[in-house]
Amino acid sequence: MANLKIAGLCKDYGPVEVLKNIDLDIKDGEFVVFVGPSGCGKSTLLRMICGLDEVTSGALAIGDQIVNDVPSSKRGIAMVFQSYALYPHMSVAKNMGYALRLAGEDASEIDRRVKAAAEILKIDHLLDRKPRQLSGGQRQRVAIGRAIVREPEVFLFDEPLSNLDAALRVDMRMEFARLKKRLGTTMIYVTHDQVEAMTLADKIVVMNAGRVEQVGAPIELYHAPMNRFVAEFIGSPRMNILPAGLVADAPAGADTVGLRPEQLVLGEAGLRGKVLTTERLGSDTFAYVEIDGLERPLVVRKGGDEALASGLDVTVGWGADALYAFDAEGRALQVAPLKAAS
Amino acid sequence: MLDLSTWQAKTVFTALAVLIGFFLFFPVYWLVISSVKPDHELYLLSPTIWPNEFTLKHFKTALFEGGLPLHLTNSLIVSLSSAAINATLAVYAGYSFAKYRYFGRKPVMLFMLSAQMFPFGLLLITIYPMFTDWGLLDSRFGLMVSYIVFALPVATYMLYSYFSQVPNELIEAARADGASDLRIFHTIVLPISVPPIVTVFLYSFMWSWNDLLYSLTLIVSDDKRTVGPGLLLNYLNESNADWGGAMAASLMAAAPVVIGFMALQRFFIQGVTAGAVK
Ligand SMILES: Nc1ncnc2c1ncn2[C@@H]1O[C@H](COP(=O)(O)OP(=O)(O)OP(=O)(O)O)[C@@H](O)[C@H]1O
Ligand SMILES: [Mg+2]
Repeated sequence: MANLKIAGLCKDYGPVEVLKNIDLDIKDGEFVVFVGPSGCGKSTLLRMICGLDEVTSGALAIGDQIVNDVPSSKRGIAMVFQSYALYPHMSVAKNMGYALRLAGEDASEIDRRVKAAAEILKIDHLLDRKPRQLSGGQRQRVAIGRAIVREPEVFLFDEPLSNLDAALRVDMRMEFARLKKRLGTTMIYVTHDQVEAMTLADKIVVMNAGRVEQVGAPIELYHAPMNRFVAEFIGSPRMNILPAGLVADAPAGADTVGLRPEQLVLGEAGLRGKVLTTERLGSDTFAYVEIDGLERPLVVRKGGDEALASGLDVTVGWGADALYAFDAEGRALQVAPLKAAS
Repeated sequence: MLDLSTWQAKTVFTALAVLIGFFLFFPVYWLVISSVKPDHELYLLSPTIWPNEFTLKHFKTALFEGGLPLHLTNSLIVSLSSAAINATLAVYAGYSFAKYRYFGRKPVMLFMLSAQMFPFGLLLITIYPMFTDWGLLDSRFGLMVSYIVFALPVATYMLYSYFSQVPNELIEAARADGASDLRIFHTIVLPISVPPIVTVFLYSFMWSWNDLLYSLTLIVSDDKRTVGPGLLLNYLNESNADWGGAMAASLMAAAPVVIGFMALQRFFIQGVTAGAVK
């Protein structure tokens, strides 16, 4: 097991700077989730850690060893690819044992480790099948199994669940939580899914355009985003952003203010608007309220299942500590809701 | 999609299929029946659609009196070895073009393909003096080399297109598992590339098997001749035209290609790579 340290890491593809001066500390046994919009460099960072591409500058250390020039297979890491990348002509057992065979392990040891990993993942009955004879979820497990067999010090997962349907994702999410407990190994996990990020992570790394915007525990990021980008990125549906001028209780120096849909209350004194439409999900209802002087409608979450007539005149209010405020550069101002996550 | 649900559509479709089938298969049919007709029936003014009499005489003479067995052997040697060497070279060249980035990759590839733009016959004019200088004239080895030269660009391009579609993640996964580049190629990429390699092999085999021009020009001695010129010179020349013999010999000359295709066709079935990535 090992910690991981990234210092001043940059990556250019020709003239394109993809990663810009990344600093990151990951402790031994931590489950770290990278999130960020598409194209922000999450996969690239993972590939750097894995050693599939050379870093342009900066240092990368696993354990206490700088691994910039260490080949991928010697770094003590195992990566699970988004596309699974199973070897199509090999059986599940052969797929899982490939790395060990290359490393020259003897057959009985390979067999033992493959069986052990297959048991953890409940795929022991599939060992003789070829990848094309497996369902998506089973392939995913084989890909994870192939990583586990190597007993790495760091696991890397690049959007491992993005090819699965919603129900299977929920199952596999719990599987990951179980795996994290059972193996206790350092894991780095890339996802687009808020729920995966919030539930699995010990620490979330929010990235944007090749930079790290903020690193912190999930709830910390939710309650105390350091800037507008993080505030809008964490939380679903995303935070409503309003010009400070529209809001009476905006703090001094604020350029924009943010209000989360779940903190808005219909019918309380505040902004006046018209209901555009409502989305009913059964457990929740989201109302889109058009406000004068605001480009995008305000999203308001109501519990329960209650449709509102569109065109209805409503008022939208919020509690005193619900307001987030940002200056002209998008930095968060220290106001009431920036309560430290406790 | 073609909708074949109405009887009109079915009729038209069937008629078209029969017509196309007729043009495709009638010559083959004629070849087959002519090879088993006795001589006197071959030269009737109104030819018989179905032979009145059957004879294997033409096959016997072709096999035991002409140079056919020798020419067939020569063709097999030249075609098999040029196809094998060609496929091997194309596999490595195609993979290197597809998966490695190095200086000069694009120009070299274009240069190779541009060889394909010159008419086949024109290149013979340049190859002939070259072969004379190198002593490759009138040798089976020389002929084989000329076939490789001409089939290699397309073969390489075919495999290049295929290898370009092999997912990079598959290769990276193997690299992360600790495999060297050559190891990855041999244990991961080659096993999943059998169908295209077989296709390329057959392509170059047919190229040399069906060749007439090069073999006719570059080979002089009858004992080194391949089957194409062999047929031509044996059966159809100024002094006589033995149509029955030509038909029987052609049938036997076509057999290896047909058998080869039938034996290898299971490799063409798509989906060998299914399950790798999704
Ligand atoms: N080999 C390459 N050459 C040039 N640019 C590249 C290369 N690989 C990635 N990029 C660029 O680097 C940027 C980051 O890509 P990356 O795949 O890391 O994004 P990502 O955050 O993983 O996105 P996604 O969420 O869509 O997977 C993108 O703008 C991409 O176009
Ligand atoms: Mg990605």
